Amino acid sequence: MPFNRPLIIVLLLVALALLMVRRYTGDEAESVRRSRLIMGTVVEIAAFGRPEAELDRAVDAAFAEMSRIEDLMSPRRPASDVARLSEAAGPVAVAPETAEVIALGLEVARRSGGAFDLTLGRLKSLWGIETEEPRVPTPQEIRRALEGTGPGALQLEGRRVTKGGPGLAVDLGGIAKGYAVDRAVRVLRVAGIESASVNAGGDIQLLGTRPDGRPWRIGIQHPRDPDKILATVSLDEGAVVTSGDYERYFTAGGVRYHHLFDPHTGYPGTLSRSVTVVAPNAALADALATAAFVLGPEAGLELLAGYPGVEGLIVGADGKPVLSDGLRGMVSWP
Amino acid sequence: MTALDRMIVLGLLGAAILSFQLTAPGEAGERVVVEQRGKVIFTAPLNSDRRVALSGPLGETVLVIHDGRVCVESSPCPRKICMGMGEISRNGELLACVPNELLIRVEGGREKEGEYDLLSR
Repeated sequence: MPFNRPLIIVLLLVALALLMVRRYTGDEAESVRRSRLIMGTVVEIAAFGRPEAELDRAVDAAFAEMSRIEDLMSPRRPASDVARLSEAAGPVAVAPETAEVIALGLEVARRSGGAFDLTLGRLKSLWGIETEEPRVPTPQEIRRALEGTGPGALQLEGRRVTKGGPGLAVDLGGIAKGYAVDRAVRVLRVAGIESASVNAGGDIQLLGTRPDGRPWRIGIQHPRDPDKILATVSLDEGAVVTSGDYERYFTAGGVRYHHLFDPHTGYPGTLSRSVTVVAPNAALADALATAAFVLGPEAGLELLAGYPGVEGLIVGADGKPVLSDGLRGMVSWP
Repeated sequence: MTALDRMIVLGLLGAAILSFQLTAPGEAGERVVVEQRGKVIFTAPLNSDRRVALSGPLGETVLVIHDGRVCVESSPCPRKICMGMGEISRNGELLACVPNELLIRVEGGREKEGEYDLLSR
């Protein structure tokens, strides 16, 4: 066959055009990743599978929703529901979102026998773990800070909250961040996003599966080596929250004092190093992780077993990890 | 096939390869992006060394870009957690100073290859 110059040029140009089209349309879905500082932590949102402008709008709206929840539940904002509650002597009407968080918190407080507590505001201020000058309080100070606290210390009727005593200070620290993550995911879902992740300093909620269809791989921080992961959990959707004694702490006299207090003693819990909870939503995972940390490996796993769809990994004070039965097939070790 | 034919074919192939190389997406160059309250307040390429002071509510945080890596050299915040976070260099990695409201991340270039998608800690 004789060489046909016009034909070969056309063929080469067509091939080139096809290559460029494939290069630019690609087979990768659109994605955006954004981060903000909200609730004193880095919040990272990744969203996939829609045009970039649409993803941008949805992610902005999700961040705005988390900031709104922070305005409602931060004890450091004088107009927040939590600050108003701590100041009040009588009943206080709170936002429906705050009421929802308090209802869930009271339920976990009751079912954990008081290992989770929404009324530790005074105790936390006393220790000042998150301030510049943390200190070990005297036993008398701790006794006074615990007076009137416990699962029965708050009454919730509809949106009205009544404290057991005027001096009680409410603290939603062990649950509000998880709730804010859930709200962000709800905003993304309503915006039509089918694949996304929200990670607020380790409180994670997944929306749908990953864009490539494989499960999400969640690395679990090693409680003693910051450069290592303890394990990887594979998940199609749901929430993962880890609470550990390495997150916020100070040392005095060779002892590590961290931020996960045992409400019965007023001192940091001593039975666990870290707890990871997998649950349908991050608010529940957040509260259960704190409660299971205080309860320790044995009673902690027992508490988690009472909740459908909830699994857990607890590293005891001896450094040994224990798993709930349902988590066994989902975990891989490095 | 004449010499002209060969030149045309080779020329087109060369153009194809060149345009492919020049227009490859996702290779915009690695850069450091600093955000405050959701707004980008500073951006610089990761491959040119420099030191920069950025203002936050507590004062000036000093960032150092050196050898394709970025770290916080000094900070007015009380606990200096941002300084203890070390250096970052890969796409998507973050440094944060919560008290001084600065979020520093690396964008562009190679994605950090890891054994996980998200870290729970």
